Amino acid sequence: MSVRPEVFQAILLLGLASLACRLGGFFLMRYVSITPRVDAWLRAIPIALIGAILGPIAVNGGPPEWLGLAVAIGVMHFSANEFAATIGACATVAVVRAAMA
Amino acid sequence: MMQTPTFTWRGVVDGAAKGIVIAPALIAFGLAVGVLAFSKGLTALEIALMSAWVYAGTAQMASLQVWAEPVPLLVLVLTVLAMNARYVLLSAALRPPFGALPAWQIYPGLAIFGDGNWALTMRDVNERRPDAGFLLGSGLVMYLPWIGATVAGHLFGQVLGDPRRLGLDFMLAALFATMAVGFFRVARSVAPLIVAIVVAVVVQKLIDGPWYLFAGALAGSLTGALRVRPT
Repeated sequence: MSVRPEVFQAILLLGLASLACRLGGFFLMRYVSITPRVDAWLRAIPIALIGAILGPIAVNGGPPEWLGLAVAIGVMHFSANEFAATIGACATVAVVRAAMA
Repeated sequence: MMQTPTFTWRGVVDGAAKGIVIAPALIAFGLAVGVLAFSKGLTALEIALMSAWVYAGTAQMASLQVWAEPVPLLVLVLTVLAMNARYVLLSAALRPPFGALPAWQIYPGLAIFGDGNWALTMRDVNERRPDAGFLLGSGLVMYLPWIGATVAGHLFGQVLGDPRRLGLDFMLAALFATMAVGFFRVARSVAPLIVAIVVAVVVQKLIDGPWYLFAGALAGSLTGALRVRPT
């Protein structure tokens, strides 16, 4: 159990890169005035990120993932209970995977 | 109009309570990263240090995949930058709700946010007065399990079963799908979502690595900027 110097050096640099990304966007926006257009851009980021994450999962996935997404969206839409929606979706994925295995 | 932001300890507790739902997915993913670190010859202390300081699941997974001896520093740094480029966007989006806060109230939360608790926070600021405590609290309940899970994966990974069997790898996707419902109502527009999906899927096919997340989020959000709603 030890930390080798070259590994320590690598981790130090990687952490700085990580931190620069996390703090950088917020810091830089200090110098950008929030016009209605910039505001519209920033407001669209959440739904765009969600699309960028879920799109490939849906395209590369199969029936377990498709049903899982449908359960998550459906339960959330009708019950607004995100805990039930996420657990239900994971359970669906597990069951369908088991059924297909 | 957005309300004046605040930082409260109540917000920290509230964020922790809401954020805990992400922990199981994170733990499953952390175990996998720990197993990979073990197979690449990192010590338990090294992976603990990496998880605490680099703290980025996808970036750690990707950089461990290209990890070698001697350590390829430049490739590693570029890999982490590629993976975390999306955080620049997510971080920028926190400026309108939290820009008015003193640095010490917002930067600790910024230092440890991830996709999941960032999205929870963005939804929270849509619903009530922006509270940076929520960002910090929801981040902390992801941060600490993440370090523990990667170390556990390193130590016991060989004897654990496949978390895929329980569908745990799907937890984050499920959480994002549930949040899509709420954000969709706020955005009232299908164009950013469609553009993000199409660009992400196409870029993932064309370019190796994680650039598709950044490309999709950027293209989709810029589409949103094309249509300025009257306020």
